[in-house]
Amino acid sequence: MKNNIRVERAIKNITQAELAELIGVSRQTINTIESNRYVPSTVLALKIARVFEKPVEEVFMLEDED
Amino acid sequence: MKSRFLFPYWYRYLGWGLFLVHIPIVLFRKQLGFESHGPDDGLLSSQHVFFMTTTLLMAVGLFLAAFAKERIEDEQISQLRLDSLQWAIYVNYLLLIVSLILTNDTQHILFLNLMVPLVFFIVRFQWKIFQNNRLLKRDGDLR
Repeated sequence: MKNNIRVERAIKNITQAELAELIGVSRQTINTIESNRYVPSTVLALKIARVFEKPVEEVFMLEDED
Repeated sequence: MKSRFLFPYWYRYLGWGLFLVHIPIVLFRKQLGFESHGPDDGLLSSQHVFFMTTTLLMAVGLFLAAFAKERIEDEQISQLRLDSLQWAIYVNYLLLIVSLILTNDTQHILFLNLMVPLVFFIVRFQWKIFQNNRLLKRDGDLR
């Protein structure tokens, strides 16, 4: 699964730390999600999408190997 | 996701305290008046009491240090914890099987079995957290 959190953050102009605080996780967690080393739970994915005010499919998308 | 059955964050310090306290007791057992093999090897003999107290200090200390909450408990930390626990159990049983084949020194096997899962778990878990922190420093851009 890939995501474009980095892009969405840039659009909304918020840092990893700010996003982390908004959804109640650590900065490390945001960083590992952004660099595709951690796949978030559905709850967390929905929370992230809600911050960006977009449907979850626009933030997270499946890859061929998924 | 809520992590249940974890100790508060500061319990880790209590845990390490207990663990550190047990080290000098073990090192200076002779000076403290505990012979390693006295004539009385029964239940509640000085050797048994010594073994019991030091082992309990060590095990409880490691236990508290291992299962204290992290500063920010989130699902990724839970995942790391679970992952490290699985590794710890694998390593423990591998060592247990090898030591059962190679030796019949049950006291030391028991001792190994008591320490390895907790120690391996702590090392692996903290190592992963350290790696995440290092990666955050390296490529965690702020904008």
